[in-house]
Amino acid sequence: MHNVWLIARREYIERIRTRGFLITTVLIPLIMGGFIFGSSFLGGKVSSESHIAIVSSDAQPALDLQDELEQPALNDGAQTATANQPHMTVDVMGAGQETRAIVDRELDSGDLDGYLWITSPATPGAPPAFTFTPRSGGQQALRNSIASAIDAVLMRDRLARQGFAAADLDAIMQPVQIATVHSPHRVDREAAEISVTVLFFLMYMVIMLYGMNVARSIIEEKTSRIFEVLLATIRPEEMMAGKIIGVGSVGLTQVAIWITAGLLLASSAMAPHLDGQPLHFALALPQIVYFFVYFLLGYLFYSSIAAALGAMTNSEQELQQLNMFLVLPLAFCFIALKAVLTNPDSSFSQALALVPPFTPLLMYVRVTLGHPAPWEIVLSLALTSASIYAIIWVTSRIYRVGVLMYGKRPNLPELLRWLRYS
Amino acid sequence: MPIVQLQHVRKVYDTKVAVDDLSFAIEPGTMFGLLGPNGSGKTSSIRMMIGITAPDSGAVSLFGRPFHRSMLARVGYLPEERGLYKKMRVLDQLIFLGQLHGLTASEAARRSRAWCERLNIAEAIPQKTEDLSKGMQQKIQFIAALLHEPDLIIMDEPFTGLDPVNAALLMETLVDLRRQGRAVLFSTHRMDQVEKMCDNIALIHRGHLVLSGSMREVKSSYPRNRVLIQFQGGDAFLRHSSIESMKLYNGHAEIKLRPSPTLDEDTQSLLAEALRHTRITRFEVMEPTLEEIFIEKVGETTPKNGDAVFATLPEQEPMGELVDA
Repeated sequence: MHNVWLIARREYIERIRTRGFLITTVLIPLIMGGFIFGSSFLGGKVSSESHIAIVSSDAQPALDLQDELEQPALNDGAQTATANQPHMTVDVMGAGQETRAIVDRELDSGDLDGYLWITSPATPGAPPAFTFTPRSGGQQALRNSIASAIDAVLMRDRLARQGFAAADLDAIMQPVQIATVHSPHRVDREAAEISVTVLFFLMYMVIMLYGMNVARSIIEEKTSRIFEVLLATIRPEEMMAGKIIGVGSVGLTQVAIWITAGLLLASSAMAPHLDGQPLHFALALPQIVYFFVYFLLGYLFYSSIAAALGAMTNSEQELQQLNMFLVLPLAFCFIALKAVLTNPDSSFSQALALVPPFTPLLMYVRVTLGHPAPWEIVLSLALTSASIYAIIWVTSRIYRVGVLMYGKRPNLPELLRWLRYS
Repeated sequence: MPIVQLQHVRKVYDTKVAVDDLSFAIEPGTMFGLLGPNGSGKTSSIRMMIGITAPDSGAVSLFGRPFHRSMLARVGYLPEERGLYKKMRVLDQLIFLGQLHGLTASEAARRSRAWCERLNIAEAIPQKTEDLSKGMQQKIQFIAALLHEPDLIIMDEPFTGLDPVNAALLMETLVDLRRQGRAVLFSTHRMDQVEKMCDNIALIHRGHLVLSGSMREVKSSYPRNRVLIQFQGGDAFLRHSSIESMKLYNGHAEIKLRPSPTLDEDTQSLLAEALRHTRITRFEVMEPTLEEIFIEKVGETTPKNGDAVFATLPEQEPMGELVDA
């Protein structure tokens, strides 16, 4: 045990001291933060101003629509966050011979973000046909607001024909206000999803980064040949354990720094500036505990695989060829994240979260967002622990033989022979 | 009680026999030379002594008992392939390696400083390892093997890559350690080093023990049939009938005499003949050198090539697996 401690401590101190540690500690949250804020900022900017044209032979529905679209605050009410509703400028044009050519030209030049063509109904009383032509394919928000404006106008039109007075119409069309009140014990869903996603990425990145670091550090010892001196005093298992613990502690330190800094920022400096949309990093204590438990399991799982990969290879390049064993399962978790996030208690999520390579990341999401039964949590921990034990057993055998192997990379039969050897 | 004892040790790797039926013993307070060309099984034998690999059959004993990992605290090992943590400071590195051998940090630091002074590399102490010259790194590793004052010192090719001054410094250090009662084993393919330093030797070739025993025994078991002559004048006397083969340099000949029961008389007759024709400045009758003995033992399969006799043999690094003890 003393030797494991010595190896781990050396690994920890040497890594903490490097410039690389400092850089990743500062840069990764900056990049992540920049990405989150940048995308919301850009997203807001793009949808904030739109200019569309409505072409119609019949002026009345076009003017109604113009009203509806240009004053969304009045009619849309609290349906969605008012501040985010795009401000829209709407031109109304009569349908003439050359109108189509004019609007198309304006669309191409960028003056218009889209135009709505209203064709009067063939039979009176039937609703007119609407055709919307956006400048680019992706303007989902614009299309949505136009669709809801059309709905509102048609509804108003129909009700008016039924004989409702204009004053009553306003009252009827007023959308229902739903007030959201936060209970102090239940974090609201959206904030929870954001914080879980952030922590998921954190776990994903740190496991990937530090798993590869374990492999790299083993290769480094192989190339510098220091391990032969070490093996003359300590067992390969001790070397491997020390390495995994040492490198992992560096990762934990980094995560702890980030979380502490995040909590401090959220609670003090940042909070007053974001009063409109408070940045809820909803981190309850059990969540943090679960995060660390599953983070540790995930790290142990993947870093022992990485240790085996490191022991089998002689250079970074060779490691690159094998690192799909590390990347593929992690990437799969990444792909499955969306499904688990939206439906954490579906049978798909339930099954997936019990598969050991996916447990650390996906079960963590379920635990924080869904309602896994206690037996599921216990089973997930047991299965993952058991498979970690099995992986370490295999890995330490590969490691014993592999660290002394130079030259070509072993093939599968050779690997199996190594397992029998030791 | 021998410090190291190998009994009929055999080690086979996937495709080749690394060591076969190898037996020898190392007594305390002696310097033992393990000799052989590259790929002959020196490193494999050493790795079995320190438990990096296990013999397939046969027994390895250290300090009079069957090998156990706990004995490694009393062994200092310098591997053939040098290795240190490149980014670490020299002192941190030595302290770390000392601690792995059971020293406290402060004791390891104190001894490291003393050793660095002794080997004239005190200025390296605060530096990073990667900033040092290769020779200096080698000295650091040499120190690392000795910090915990081991009773058995095992060094695989300790002098390769060193300039003559530093090689001599390390040789002196090893001789000194032997004088203090430690057993020293080193492997080399440089026979001249062994002749000067070793009490006992074992010669291995292709995994087999070719020759072993004390230096004096080995040498005296061979007839004194080598003659070195330095002369001024004609070299006609070199056609003397007792000469089997020779190498002639400028004013200097190395002669091997024909085996004969009357070797002593033949030698004197050669000297008389030489004196008649030329002026002799040196005439020395010797046993064959270790190098010559070795070449004779392994036959003509090993080509002669200056002092690095074995350099032409291909290096083959065996795969290893580890012992659980």
